Amino acid sequence: MKKALITGYRGQDGAYLSRFLLEKGYEVYGADRAGDSGQWRLKELGIERRVKEIALDLLEPTNITDALEKVRPDEIYNFAAQSFVLVSFAQPVLTAEINAVGVARLLEAMRKTCPKARFFQASTAELFGSTGSAQKNETTDFHPRSPYAVSKLYAHWLTVNYRQAQGLYACNGILFNHESPLRGEEFVTRKIAAAAARIKKGLQETVAVGNLNALRDWGYAKEYVEGMWLALQQAAPDDYILATGETHSVREWIEAAFAAADIKLEWKGKGLGEKGLDARTGKVRVEISKEFYRPADVKELVGDATKARRVLGWAPKTKFKDLPALMVRAELKRLEGKKVTL
Amino acid sequence: MKKALITGVTGQDGSYLAEFLLGKGYEVHGVRRRSASFNMARIAHLAKHPRLKLHFGDLTDSTNLARLIAQIKPDEIYNLGAQSHVAVSFDEPEYTADCDGLGTMRLLECVRLLGLEKKTRVYQASTSELYGKVREIPQSETTPFHPRSPYGVAKMYGFWITVNYRESYGMFAANGILFNHESPVRGDEFVTRKITRALGRILLGAQDCLYMGNMNALRDWGHARDYVKAMWLMLQQDKPEDFVIATGKQYSVRRFIELAAAEVGITVGWKGKGPAETGYVKAVNPPDGLETPLKKGDVIVRVDPKFYRPAEVETLLGNPDKARRVLGWKPETSFAELVREMAASDLALARSEAVLAKAGLGGIKSC
Repeated sequence: MKKALITGYRGQDGAYLSRFLLEKGYEVYGADRAGDSGQWRLKELGIERRVKEIALDLLEPTNITDALEKVRPDEIYNFAAQSFVLVSFAQPVLTAEINAVGVARLLEAMRKTCPKARFFQASTAELFGSTGSAQKNETTDFHPRSPYAVSKLYAHWLTVNYRQAQGLYACNGILFNHESPLRGEEFVTRKIAAAAARIKKGLQETVAVGNLNALRDWGYAKEYVEGMWLALQQAAPDDYILATGETHSVREWIEAAFAAADIKLEWKGKGLGEKGLDARTGKVRVEISKEFYRPADVKELVGDATKARRVLGWAPKTKFKDLPALMVRAELKRLEGKKVTL
Repeated sequence: MKKALITGVTGQDGSYLAEFLLGKGYEVHGVRRRSASFNMARIAHLAKHPRLKLHFGDLTDSTNLARLIAQIKPDEIYNLGAQSHVAVSFDEPEYTADCDGLGTMRLLECVRLLGLEKKTRVYQASTSELYGKVREIPQSETTPFHPRSPYGVAKMYGFWITVNYRESYGMFAANGILFNHESPVRGDEFVTRKITRALGRILLGAQDCLYMGNMNALRDWGHARDYVKAMWLMLQQDKPEDFVIATGKQYSVRRFIELAAAEVGITVGWKGKGPAETGYVKAVNPPDGLETPLKKGDVIVRVDPKFYRPAEVETLLGNPDKARRVLGWKPETSFAELVREMAASDLALARSEAVLAKAGLGGIKSC
């Protein structure tokens, strides 16, 4: 039986991948921070006690080595990260310690204890930052725009370096935004989906967001974890972009999410004063707040997943047309105490 | 009086820059690490200068950096401190990241948190190692990076976090992408200095052989003295920008050996290929009537594969056009002059070693 080790297994991607690998018959080991944050994801997925929890912290090198020696994994998926861009401006050191140096510790421990294992690093579209509006592929140059992106850039290249210099099977998945009902609520897509559902049920009045005009390429996390697994099943390691190839604004996301909650929005005002109103009642439902603006923003991100399609046979099925509605439906079910389909 | 803070002041670039800035009338604050070895040889000649102040500090220690920057309130910070050796970074990737990557961010973050982001200008010592497996020849400010070592990756973190603090907070923060720059005070673990140190000793019979890694590697070599001037110029502009600092000329490691050997009167010939290649004495004619045990046919250069890098950087060649155009900077020392200066300095060092050895005083340590 194959063994997989997932860091950050109680996060969105970790939870989906855990279920995916369990269904494939893997023995799955998960590492995450102490406490039970994120436990709800495993519960909703119905895999609560099926992942073997292992103590492994990316801040602690000897502990990483110890964990790898105990588990002897065939595959390692590194999802553990300080993954929120805005927080990285306030906590750049912690972000770098986990996202950058943490990967150095993990790769180094892997080189010493289980060099035959295969390694997947969760890279991100944020690496591209402000490189213009063209579709990004695996050869597009990077220009990170946040301490988060710079830390992930380090991890990306270190992964490449351990592949090229040390001969490890190490891959980067350059993941464009991928969402789901299991997304953390601090992320804009889930925040909006949850707000739209609560507003519909009369449990919330308004939701505050940052830059409405940021353009992103949004896919469904449940499908992206399959692409990650496929990256580790090839004859040779490589880097792959996972994306839908479509770009939509945060504004469009809000409109689609509210529409799924039967609320038609109207926009009034400009800049920080712009508001989204319920077209029927005139009530303010969406406001702009400066606190959600990044010091340096990324205007547009759209990915070209041609290589993943060609080499891995991977293609996203769920696109923008269905994703916000899918997430709002899940939120409504949660509010009604019903089981969520994930 | 302007105040400058230099991290890595005890290193090659730090010592040249300190001297340069003192000459410009700056008050220069140098940060050095406490270490069991007294690493002061390069700045010994400046130690008594009334405008040079030395502080203990470390790029891995945030509170220490914050205290220094708060006390000094420098107009300019030159971040030259680093674990700067590529081969070592394969053995110490974590420390290299902490020092070269996060260390840069700690400095920038201190400047920002202390409210000095409009006052203090920051120079970040970036490196041609960022280009690694080069995407185009020559490399300019717009060439994409492809680092080939944990050192290169850590320095890439330093590069982009510098760009990010400039773009996010409007700080005057600039990267100098410096191609190889050498001098007689280069650390002797670096290949150029290793070569000139060895050749001086070999000529005088104090060493048998020089062990090398990849002698076909091509590099763009300038003189550190010229390059520190470019660092300073970058912080005197109206707006912060990144610059490639290079000569635009390229030579192989093998060519460096040949020229350095010629400087001490040895003509080197080559035999064999790959790890079996050797360099032998074709002719020897020592300068200043020095005596040498060397004779024709002696093998003085061999390859030791332990000096190969796990992922080799074969070629680096910089395009310094932007620095010339915007900064008005150009390299003043030619490759031949650089090699001559280093070889002559290390021959003199080898001669003093020989005198001391004869007097039973053992070896002296170079810097």
